[in-house]
Amino acid sequence: MGNLIKAEFRKTTTTGLWWGLMIPTVLLAFGWALGTGAIFKTVSDFMGSSDAEELATLLNVDPSQWQMSVFGIARSINVATIFPMIFGGLAIANEINRKTITTTFLTAPNRVSALGAKMVVYVLWGAIFGVAIVASVSIGIALTSNSGSLPDAGGWLALAGVGILSSILMTMFGVGVGALMTSVVGTTVVLLLYMLIVENGLQLVLSSQGVPEIIGFLPNGAVNGLTGSVASSLFLANAGVVPDEMVEVLRAIAGALGAFDWWLSGLIFLVWTALFFLGGWAATQRKDIT
Amino acid sequence: MHDGTGRIVVQNLTKQFGPVAAVQNLSFTVEPGSVTGFLGPNGAGKTTTLRMLLGLVTPTAGIGLINGRPFSQLGNPARVVGAVLEAQGFHPKRTARNHLRVYAAAIGVPDSRADQVLQLVGLGAAGDRKAGGFSLGMKQRLALATALLGDPQILVLDEPANGLDPEGIAWLRTFLQSYARSGRTVLISSHLLAEVEQTVDQVVIISRGQTMYYGSLDQLRDQQQARVLVQPSDVGALVAALREDGITGIEQVPDGRIAVSGVEAKEVADTALKAGVSIYGLQEEKVDLERLFFQLTNGQYAAPGQSQYAAPVAYQQPQPGYQQFQAPPPGYQQQPQQYQTPPSGYQQPPPGYEQYQQPPQGYQQQPHGYPLAPQPPQDNPYGQPQQDNPHGSPQQPQQDNPYGRQHGQGGLGGGA
Repeated sequence: MGNLIKAEFRKTTTTGLWWGLMIPTVLLAFGWALGTGAIFKTVSDFMGSSDAEELATLLNVDPSQWQMSVFGIARSINVATIFPMIFGGLAIANEINRKTITTTFLTAPNRVSALGAKMVVYVLWGAIFGVAIVASVSIGIALTSNSGSLPDAGGWLALAGVGILSSILMTMFGVGVGALMTSVVGTTVVLLLYMLIVENGLQLVLSSQGVPEIIGFLPNGAVNGLTGSVASSLFLANAGVVPDEMVEVLRAIAGALGAFDWWLSGLIFLVWTALFFLGGWAATQRKDIT
Repeated sequence: MHDGTGRIVVQNLTKQFGPVAAVQNLSFTVEPGSVTGFLGPNGAGKTTTLRMLLGLVTPTAGIGLINGRPFSQLGNPARVVGAVLEAQGFHPKRTARNHLRVYAAAIGVPDSRADQVLQLVGLGAAGDRKAGGFSLGMKQRLALATALLGDPQILVLDEPANGLDPEGIAWLRTFLQSYARSGRTVLISSHLLAEVEQTVDQVVIISRGQTMYYGSLDQLRDQQQARVLVQPSDVGALVAALREDGITGIEQVPDGRIAVSGVEAKEVADTALKAGVSIYGLQEEKVDLERLFFQLTNGQYAAPGQSQYAAPVAYQQPQPGYQQFQAPPPGYQQQPQQYQTPPSGYQQPPPGYEQYQQPPQGYQQQPHGYPLAPQPPQDNPYGQPQQDNPHGSPQQPQQDNPYGRQHGQGGLGGGA
């Protein structure tokens, strides 16, 4: 098994795909962090102005304690994990497309171990992408946010943890979809279209129909809930009194509208990932390699 | 674990792709120490058979064994069997050396092995080049290098000569022969007998997913008998005279001439002179190996009507067949109409003619050829596929068994 893991890892490092996707991942994560950091800085600056102070006093809240940056962190992580998902999507699709799967199966004791090794390697890659994303986002946010709006060490660790976890899960989700589709172009298009357009449209429809709870069950909603819920919990824990009606708005800002607690969101997305991953595994396990 | 014999056993392999029967009940054995050619026309099921043997395609029925085990139970399979299945299994952006290092890691051999096999196949200078920029011949060499990584006991190659230049083919031939001579097993498929004729010792010839011939190439080569086509003034008299001289390999061919095998033209002429028969035409014809192969494998898409030409086989059997020379059955007059092309010359006999003519000889030879294999299995591995043949084309009844049914054949011929 160690041999196969080494072989699978070499497969990923001997082509340019990993850094071809790592560069946009880092740039996107960093860019989004800079942008959202700036936006929330403007918001909290406004809340600290004299005009808003009256409103804040009226609402009985203290904006200087608001860690607005956590929303920026959550949002930026969500967007950047698109790339590890694509990276995972190409894992098996590319091998089938390039016909290297033949040699892969000829040099492994059986398909279970070949695919098992691939799984281990892509979990590792998901984590590597996750670390890169969290680091880029943290730097970007730190550059543009007020120091008062940054989370404390514990909060940052919590966000970093779910960030890496969601990157791993997104990678495995991609691996599963890629194994089922077996087409490089098809996998990429389907993953991007669904995550960026289809589900956002669904979310809009569901929330306008007054059933945002369903969003938490959808793949993108669930994975967003993972980071978004942690961000809004962190925010709420430090923000003092927040009116109930504000909570939903805050969760929407965090990208966790309709999502459940972070661990439940994580479990729901894990189920989606398992569904596609095991489906893809089963298909590859039985596939005639002609 | 596997038994380390280096033997490949294919037992009753069958693969159905939807409505298409790619391989039907195929059985053969490949022994170590020789290069075995796996021959058949395109679409005969060669690649599917090899992929079933290597665990890449799941058989519908039957089993392929390597060293007494299915592929999935070989442990570290690349140490036992190396395969060159296609010259396409490379990531175009990965260098040749990196490609080999990936699989060296999977097999568990040191990275230095990658450079060794690169040198071995003559790609030493191209190791840092990306496989996407390789010519077809270089890809074939790289595929072979990959197969050799685990220093396997058995090599399986699917059409490895594709894309190789003559120099490459000569090199491959020498390489495979020395590989086999070291006691290892080499199975090499091709759709061209000529391509592997000088490389292989044993052949398995398949057509329509079934075994047509299985034995040594020398036995097959022995069947390249010359025969003499003669047009006498009196067929019956000449046949009688030839029989008196102990010549039995006489057949009627559709244009009215007779074909005499195993003799030289001048013997036939001398006999005719003695018998007082005039000869209007005399021609010597040699059936080469390639044509024999063609006869064994064609008919894949042939019309069943050709089976009519099974009739003249009768003339190989003196007793029932002889009388028909005097009074050929009505069928004979009609025969020429069956040909699309007029039987204008036997340099290029119509396909139907070749079909009935050669396979019987091939199959009579089988029992001789078979014992040459070092350890013949108890149960006849090539018996079954032929029994199942639904088409009833001319070869089939004769394949079934060589000697025992010859009389039955004669009877069949007489009646036609």
